[in-house]
Amino acid sequence: MKLTRGDKTFQLFNYLFLFAAAATMLMPLLQLLAVSFSSPIAADSKQVFLLPVEFTTASWKHVLQNAGLWKSFGITVYITIVGTVLSMLFSVLTAYPLAHKDFLLKRPIMLGIIITMIFNAPMIPFFLTVRELGMMNSLWALILPGIIGTFNMIIIRTFFMGLPKELDDSARIDGCSDAGILFRIYLPLSKPVLATVSLFYAVGYWNTFSRAVLFIRDPEKWPLQMKLRAYLTSPEELAAVNMFLGDYDFNTTTLKAATILFATIPIVLVYPYLQKYFVKGAMLGSLKE
Amino acid sequence: MAEWVGPTQSGSSDATPRHAGKHAAPKNRILGNMRKHWILYLMILPGILYYVVFKYVPLAGSVIAFQDFQIFKGIGGSEWVGLKNFKYIFSYQDFYTVLRNTAVIALYQLLFGFPAPIILALLFNEVRLMMAKRFVQSLFYLPHFLSWVVVGGIVFELLSSQGVINALREWLGLEPILFMQEQKYFRSIVVLSAIWKDVGWGTIVYLAAIAGINPNLYEAAVMDGANRWKQTVHITLPTMFPTILVLFLLNIGNFLELGFDQIYNLLTPMTYSVGDIIETYVYRAGVLQGQYSVTTTIGLFQSIIGFILLWIFNRMARKTEQGLW
Repeated sequence: MKLTRGDKTFQLFNYLFLFAAAATMLMPLLQLLAVSFSSPIAADSKQVFLLPVEFTTASWKHVLQNAGLWKSFGITVYITIVGTVLSMLFSVLTAYPLAHKDFLLKRPIMLGIIITMIFNAPMIPFFLTVRELGMMNSLWALILPGIIGTFNMIIIRTFFMGLPKELDDSARIDGCSDAGILFRIYLPLSKPVLATVSLFYAVGYWNTFSRAVLFIRDPEKWPLQMKLRAYLTSPEELAAVNMFLGDYDFNTTTLKAATILFATIPIVLVYPYLQKYFVKGAMLGSLKE
Repeated sequence: MAEWVGPTQSGSSDATPRHAGKHAAPKNRILGNMRKHWILYLMILPGILYYVVFKYVPLAGSVIAFQDFQIFKGIGGSEWVGLKNFKYIFSYQDFYTVLRNTAVIALYQLLFGFPAPIILALLFNEVRLMMAKRFVQSLFYLPHFLSWVVVGGIVFELLSSQGVINALREWLGLEPILFMQEQKYFRSIVVLSAIWKDVGWGTIVYLAAIAGINPNLYEAAVMDGANRWKQTVHITLPTMFPTILVLFLLNIGNFLELGFDQIYNLLTPMTYSVGDIIETYVYRAGVLQGQYSVTTTIGLFQSIIGFILLWIFNRMARKTEQGLW
């Protein structure tokens, strides 16, 4: 295809724009990284731009020695693991009958589920329901009230429906039950989509915030995002030292930067694996009959 | 759906009463189906339980909008007050402030946030080098996976008085601005940060639509002398249109639901007058202060507006294309 001069100019500007915009996706994180490794004086006198100035690891040492932060980290790791496993179990067990050709209640149940996507219950009745169930200050409140992500469940269901029907039939002839077909045939064939959805769930649990705001009042049980938020709004607690008594190579600016990254690093680490799958996964989310 | 009923039904029909009339037939069918595929019914039970307990019970619990709900009396014991709560919120100044903030921000999101991924998808589509495309895309998708606490933290740090944006302003000889404390910037920051976080992610579904376009269409257009711009306007955009429409309708249905996480993490008491939205207000007045009935009324009002908008736009959509239903 021959490109006109106008096309070429457009191409050039398109590349320039896209690369510049893509750089802004990463630069805020790099800037924080630079600040977190800079001296407090450099950080507060606006000298830091993408590279650390007067390099020091003092902020990171201080943050990594923060027992409260590690405790919240542990809670988040716990709900991420337990939550993801349970969510996958619930989602697969719900998706399979809804993808099964012989399941008679498929349509009404699917309709009932889609209705909940359009009519969201208001926050207060939701809050009162979970509280009535005795889940205040319980980590279950961070898992059970959202254990099935409808979008994620539909991704699995759509994938199941795309598996060839002949598999079903031949397995049945071999004497396989419905459960056998799910566990011995469907699940092994669905590994990529299961990996995608697990990662979606895991990221969701890692980033759990609003449910913790609603249900976890006890700071001892705060997940990481809550703790991060608390430190960002009152950073002097993060410093936990009197900055005027003693010579510290960090201040609230550098500590906040390090804490934000502390909560983000796990996401950035799984991101390469995540992005291998999610594009396909996200596209499977469209509803099919 | 009727074909398969024959053989399965005959297998189990000896167990179901023969005298069943016309009306009982579906019931027999379900019983037979349950007997044969009982494990499917068992499997879906936890899922149904989840949707009933955490979706339908709270939905039904919205009736406290018509009550003077007292927590120790429960729904059964609380007094019914009809539309009193609705009358109350409409006579309440704070409600109008919060509603206005929500509607204005929602409108900005729709005007700027909604088209952004469409435009970006079109720009991605013009990139011919696969390597460059993949690299750029993977950077654009990253912020979607960060929490709003993190993104809020980043925004506050970059826009603070010592932040990099003010460093740039100083370098250009401009006065520093306390962006997060000033009311006039709040809504722009909300819209821009939402675009930053989700514009890349939003392109995925549009790129899928573009990928489904038959290449022959472009070839034919080139034969007719159409340049890239004309191809975009006459082929790419029209093919994307149904996807755009569906996403638009889904968006409209949640028009006033801006997302608690984002606003809560960007809001400070100094920006309440322009940034306090329904969800943050309901959280403070409802969850923290215990005004359950009034805040449920506000939440219900929000849902009703969303549904009305969805209904109106769906009707309009059906005149030209297909709607959601």
